[in-house]
Amino acid sequence: MTLRIDRRIYSDECISKAIYALAARYSFKRSLLSEVEEELIVIPQTDTEESTVKADVFDSLNDFKLRCIIDKETHDIRTILYAKAFSDCEDIDETDLD
Amino acid sequence: MYRLLPFNFTRIANQEVIVNEVGDMQIVPLGTVQQIVEKKLDEKSELYKTLHANFFLTDTAIHPLFDIYVERLSEKKSFLDDHTALHIFVLTLRCNQNCVYCQASSQQESSCHVTMSMHTMEKGVELMFKSRSQHLTMEFQGGEPSLEYDLLKYGIEKAEEKNLTEKRHITYVLCTNSINLTEQVLDLCKQYNVLISTSLDGPAFLHNKNRGKTDSYEKVVAGIAKARETLGFERVSALMTTSVEGLNYPIEIVAEYVKLGFCDVFIRALNPYGLATENDDWEKYTERFIEFYKKALNHIIDLNLSGTFFREDYAAIILKKMITSFNSGFVDLQSPAGVVNSVIVYNYDGFVYASDESRMLAEMGDYTFRLGSVDDDYEQIVYGAKVREMAKVWSNETLAGCSDCALKVYCGADPVRNYSTQGDMYGYRPNSLLCKKNKAIIEYIIELIITREDKVLPVFKSWFL
Repeated sequence: MTLRIDRRIYSDECISKAIYALAARYSFKRSLLSEVEEELIVIPQTDTEESTVKADVFDSLNDFKLRCIIDKETHDIRTILYAKAFSDCEDIDETDLD
Repeated sequence: MYRLLPFNFTRIANQEVIVNEVGDMQIVPLGTVQQIVEKKLDEKSELYKTLHANFFLTDTAIHPLFDIYVERLSEKKSFLDDHTALHIFVLTLRCNQNCVYCQASSQQESSCHVTMSMHTMEKGVELMFKSRSQHLTMEFQGGEPSLEYDLLKYGIEKAEEKNLTEKRHITYVLCTNSINLTEQVLDLCKQYNVLISTSLDGPAFLHNKNRGKTDSYEKVVAGIAKARETLGFERVSALMTTSVEGLNYPIEIVAEYVKLGFCDVFIRALNPYGLATENDDWEKYTERFIEFYKKALNHIIDLNLSGTFFREDYAAIILKKMITSFNSGFVDLQSPAGVVNSVIVYNYDGFVYASDESRMLAEMGDYTFRLGSVDDDYEQIVYGAKVREMAKVWSNETLAGCSDCALKVYCGADPVRNYSTQGDMYGYRPNSLLCKKNKAIIEYIIELIITREDKVLPVFKSWFL
């Protein structure tokens, strides 16, 4: 099955992670059609309805898009959280977020 | 407008399960994550207050209780401060049983050159005290370690002698099949408060079949009774390993443990080392094990609901991570991984290995996780090139497939298993059977909480409160 993915909606990171998560059930071939469009050939490893394949791929893409947004927004605070938890630096505060 | 704090999510039983950095879990209706991320959550709603109180979002740049969150993360990873606490001494490969699934490549009782020298024991004890951990567990394994009484005694006495000045808290554990628990061995155990960890695979027909003997069950049960009488009931615990045959008997195995007066069982899967590698279909085994585990867990929950306290230890470890502020202390579900960080092995051959599984691999001719000799410096062993290589892949927070998994906080990293089953320490999650098994079990526990919360949660909480 061939799907077209809009890279303005789904980033490269998001597509990579989404297909990695599905790699137990599907094989993938990625090709760039243009800067904003990607072709994804999806080969199910067992008999699977096309509608299921499409739903699986887009559900995974949408989930990883949400995860990418969360990761981007929380990157700094997560760094501070781990830095404070694993070191003695008491002087990290919200100004370090700027 | 609120800000997000780091969290991940998955879907279980038609609900969204969101998990933060310390393993706090919230179960919310489908579509909630998108609402949270798109900042469409009503800031006056109960859900908003719950998510704020549980560090999923904040209305200031830094959450007002951020330092508490930091402390909680620190506590969850406190095993790193403890450093290597579990020190396994493989006294011998000699054994008096013929287990069909033996993962330790045990040899005949009459075998030569498979027993630790006194020199190796002495050096091993010295290395153990180089660990900064205030709590040391000296665990004796085999083969069958009780066959080496003199070595066992020497090891404990050396540790006691050294501890006169070191003043550590030492726990001794003898992992034995209980067939050879002589008066001499039990007296030694009594003198030094040695815990007995024995192995029992289930009812007589199953246990005997697994052990390749006709009278093993009777001898083990007699050994357990004798050890309980000498050392105290609570000083004897038992472990089971699920052979292929055992997969057919989840209820019978649990019933056997209840019958013998144990209040817990660790439903443990077979690991792909030693004779167990002869199992011809690991994928099928894993699928069957997951179903077996679910049946056993449900039976255990029913037992509790009908008034018999009984715990499944693997679920209890995962639940402790989910429900309490503490880490479980279980080396197989740890990130950074348990290898070297929490456990190290002094093998009968005079070499030091990264974990129990590492020395099992060595018996199969693969010395990848041999860290050095007992005659080497401690620093050379635990900070050497091999350990530094492992350190690159021993945190699931940094591994593809794990880092995006909402359940990673409850799971762990295992470079040795990745290497032995997939050929490299990094591993490939989509077809990792360890990932499949752990994920299925963790998801099932959460599913039980979602679908039968009123019944199962009080039972689960009773297992560690």
